Amino acid sequence: MSAYEKAHNTSPSASSAPDGITAAGDSSGTEAAGADSGQGGGRQGILARALGGGTDPDPRFTLANERTFLAWIRTSLAMVAGGIAVEAFTSELFGPELRKTVAVLLLLLGLVTGGGSFFRWLNVERAMRRQEPLPAPLLAPILAIGGALVAAVLIVFVIGRSA
Amino acid sequence: MANTKRAVVHNDPGLQPERTDLAWRRTSFTLITAACIFLRWVPHYGWFVGTLVAASLLVALGIALTQRRRYHHHASGIGGAAMAANVRGTAAIAGSVVVLAGLGIYTVLYLPLQR
Repeated sequence: MSAYEKAHNTSPSASSAPDGITAAGDSSGTEAAGADSGQGGGRQGILARALGGGTDPDPRFTLANERTFLAWIRTSLAMVAGGIAVEAFTSELFGPELRKTVAVLLLLLGLVTGGGSFFRWLNVERAMRRQEPLPAPLLAPILAIGGALVAAVLIVFVIGRSA
Repeated sequence: MANTKRAVVHNDPGLQPERTDLAWRRTSFTLITAACIFLRWVPHYGWFVGTLVAASLLVALGIALTQRRRYHHHASGIGGAAMAANVRGTAAIAGSVVVLAGLGIYTVLYLPLQR
C-alpha cells in the first residue's frame, strides 16, 4: 500500500477528499452505500455479508482487484474459446477421441479458472477490508498444471503420429 | 446507465476508473469473440449452440450498457464517495463464464453431431 502511495506520489487523503469530484451527480452511490452499511436486509444484506465486514479499502485497490479479476476472466474465456476452436477446427487433424479430450480439458480449465477467479477476487477483497495479508493465488498453479497437461497430451500425439 | 448527466472529474493520476472501464470493455470484446467461435458449432450441433451464442452476446451487451454507470460510480469513489466492491457484477460475469464452459462441455460430450 505504501509502495503504491510512494510510486504515485499521492497521499491516502487525496483519494478520500470529497473535493476530488468537481462535477458529479450523487445518484449512483445508493447501491454501494447499501452494501456498505451491512444493515440492509434482502439482497443488499447478502452482498454486505459476502464481503465479510471490515472497512472499505482505498477505492484504488478495490479497482485494481476488479481489474485483476477481469484479467482472470479473460484468461478463462480464452480457454473456453480455445476449447471450442479445437472442437470446431481440428476435425481433419485430430481423431474424435483426441479432439474431444483436448477440447474438454480446455473447457474444464476455463470453467475452473472462471469460477475460481470470483472466489480469488472475494478473498482478496475481504483481506483488504480487514487489513490482512493478501492470500496466495491458488489459481496460478492450477492454470500452469492444466496448460502443461494440455501441452503434454498434444506432444504425445505429435510424437505418436510421427513414429 | 441513464443516471449520469454530467461527466465526473476525478483526481487520480493513476487513471484507475479509466483502466477499469477498459478492462470491462476488453472482457466484453472477449465474450463477443467467444460468441463468434461458438457460431462455428451451429452447423454441427444445431440450435442449442445458438443459445450459447446469444447468451455470450447478451452478457457482452449487459457490460456495454452498464459501462457509463460503472465509470461514474468508480470516479465518484476515487473522489471520496461511498464505493463498495462490485460483488454483483463480478459474480454475474464469473457465473456466466462457468455456465458457458459447462454447456460447452455438455455440447462436446453429449450432443450428437448433425451432418
